Amino acid sequence: MLDLDKIIQDVKECRHVAEQDVLELCLKATELLLDEANVQFVDTPVTVCGDIHGQLHDLLTLFKTGGECPDTRYLFLGDFVDRGFYSLESFLLLLCLKVRYPDRMTLIRGNHESRQITQVYGFYDECVRKYGSANVWRYCCEVFDYLSLGALIGGAGGVFCIHGGLSPDIDAINQIRLLDRKQEVPHEGAMCDLLWSDPEDVPGWAISPRGAGFLFGGNEVAKFLERNDISLIARAHQLVMEGYKEMFDEGLVTVWSAPNYCYRCGNVAAILTIGEDLSREYKIFEAAIQDATSIPSKKPVTDYFL
Amino acid sequence: MSEPISFVIPVKRILTPEDLTKWGESETYKKLNAFIERLATSIKGLTNEAETGASEIIDALLAMLDGIETILSQHPVVEDANTSRFGKVEFRDFYDDVKEQVVGLLAPIVQIYQKTAYGDPTVELAAYLSESFGNRTRIDYGSGHELNFMALLLCLDELRLFVPEDDKALVLKVFIRYMALMRRLQREYWLEPAGSHGVWGLDDYHFLPFLFGSWQLYTHPNLRPKSIRSQDMVDMFHPKYMYFECINFINEVKNVPLRWHSPMLDDISGVKTWAKVAEGMFKMFKAEVLGKLPVMQHFLFGSILVVPVGISEKGDQDDDCCGHSLLNTWGDCCGIKVPSAIGASQMNKQQGIKPIPFD
Repeated sequence: MLDLDKIIQDVKECRHVAEQDVLELCLKATELLLDEANVQFVDTPVTVCGDIHGQLHDLLTLFKTGGECPDTRYLFLGDFVDRGFYSLESFLLLLCLKVRYPDRMTLIRGNHESRQITQVYGFYDECVRKYGSANVWRYCCEVFDYLSLGALIGGAGGVFCIHGGLSPDIDAINQIRLLDRKQEVPHEGAMCDLLWSDPEDVPGWAISPRGAGFLFGGNEVAKFLERNDISLIARAHQLVMEGYKEMFDEGLVTVWSAPNYCYRCGNVAAILTIGEDLSREYKIFEAAIQDATSIPSKKPVTDYFL
Repeated sequence: MSEPISFVIPVKRILTPEDLTKWGESETYKKLNAFIERLATSIKGLTNEAETGASEIIDALLAMLDGIETILSQHPVVEDANTSRFGKVEFRDFYDDVKEQVVGLLAPIVQIYQKTAYGDPTVELAAYLSESFGNRTRIDYGSGHELNFMALLLCLDELRLFVPEDDKALVLKVFIRYMALMRRLQREYWLEPAGSHGVWGLDDYHFLPFLFGSWQLYTHPNLRPKSIRSQDMVDMFHPKYMYFECINFINEVKNVPLRWHSPMLDDISGVKTWAKVAEGMFKMFKAEVLGKLPVMQHFLFGSILVVPVGISEKGDQDDDCCGHSLLNTWGDCCGIKVPSAIGASQMNKQQGIKPIPFD
């Protein structure tokens, strides 16, 4: 029997979670996620969070800043993993909270929740290093495939939430509901764009320098808001030094929740609470101070140097 | 005088895992590897200040890098011009200026070549040099850009511009000069780490100074890999050894202990001898740089560094910008504006295999 409270405690203290427990947790989470829509409805008030990238201690600060779950309802916009020291623990913590309090925690998929990207940007290496095999990485990737693509907060005039941005293939939120999301993030098409696109001061659409998704301009945002009867697009995906950045007459906001990204960027992080009246309240927080003594046990050196 | 070679504009060709396999078996791969191993072994046991002897081509390369530093000085960051983005947009002015002046920057080198051969390799050399300082659009830099600089030097080696006595100077003078320039670019323009694995990689930006640096320390009687854990040692030895310079740079840029932000470097510091580190760096370079699709997708092939036999025809996925005026802060690519949603989705459908995107 899975002891979620114990796993939550272990993960918060960066203790090793047994592989079998990770598997069970992932299966449980998958069961829940299976029933969720491609675009999940979320009630207000809710606190929207951007990229985490394995910065577990900052994620804990985030919960201190916004209030603990389940007291506060949360929506995370993806990119839980890669780059940071504790991608696995960060993702497991969010999954535990999801399984424990399904209605108080919504997780949607970021472009890093993908087999290909995690093999490039660190999460795969982290799992192999921590467990000596890729099993745990595989279990997590299975969960990634079931994560919702977006969320809709509030009713009419509400907030559409997505990791990246708009797609030229999607005019109406209802079209997203038709996608078959249970797969690896494709290299092109609507599902790819939603996770990869960026807002930009361009007329209409432009090629993205990322090589996936598109750049979309203010007029596309205005059309999308109007057509779908919403007031805001909340997305993450780009480091913003101030933690959040509103664009296009406040019709779009980028929320970034990894402070001092990669221990070097010097940025602050933000979360956004959408109130019952759809009001917006931003909270800023800074990087956790790392305690040099709490460093995890040493692991053997990589094969190259044996 | 030898027969004139017809030089071509280098293009990207590696796209699929199959291409990467062919690359790993290719002549160009072997040459590049052998070149880097030759340079590394030439500086075994030598400090940055070791005597290297002078030559015309080494002087020309150093002058070229001086010229690029001058360009850098002409494009200071305008404070508060752009606060939201990490990378500083003035980098693009620097990049454009280098590209504009690249023929002049390379002229003295080309003239040395033309003393003994016909033809003008500028077009090939320029491609590698221009891409040695980072990506214009994304304002980022990584080991792939570093590799372009080595490709430039390999081209000159293939064109027979070096004699064996130049090897030491290529690392201890030219590469170190390049590193100093890169450090200034990284600090000045806050270059973003390209394709960084975060804490799970060796370094945000570089690979080769660790490789060359470990060869410098290979025979050191007292310093050990664990010496990097002592800030006193780092303070004392960073001007003499590239490896220590790298640690010093990281310690300056990052504000928590090494173990947190660089577990891999911390691991390596547990290796008993520099000899093991140095040998391991060769293996790691092959696997993590030359063997990685996200890096090699961007490698350029021309007539000097020829494309591997049998590689797929569809290549040269040019995702880079060509220097159109900047309308925005986040990165505007190539001015290839797709006029409508329909056009964009059409474009989406037309493309086949795509390179691995940049997160």
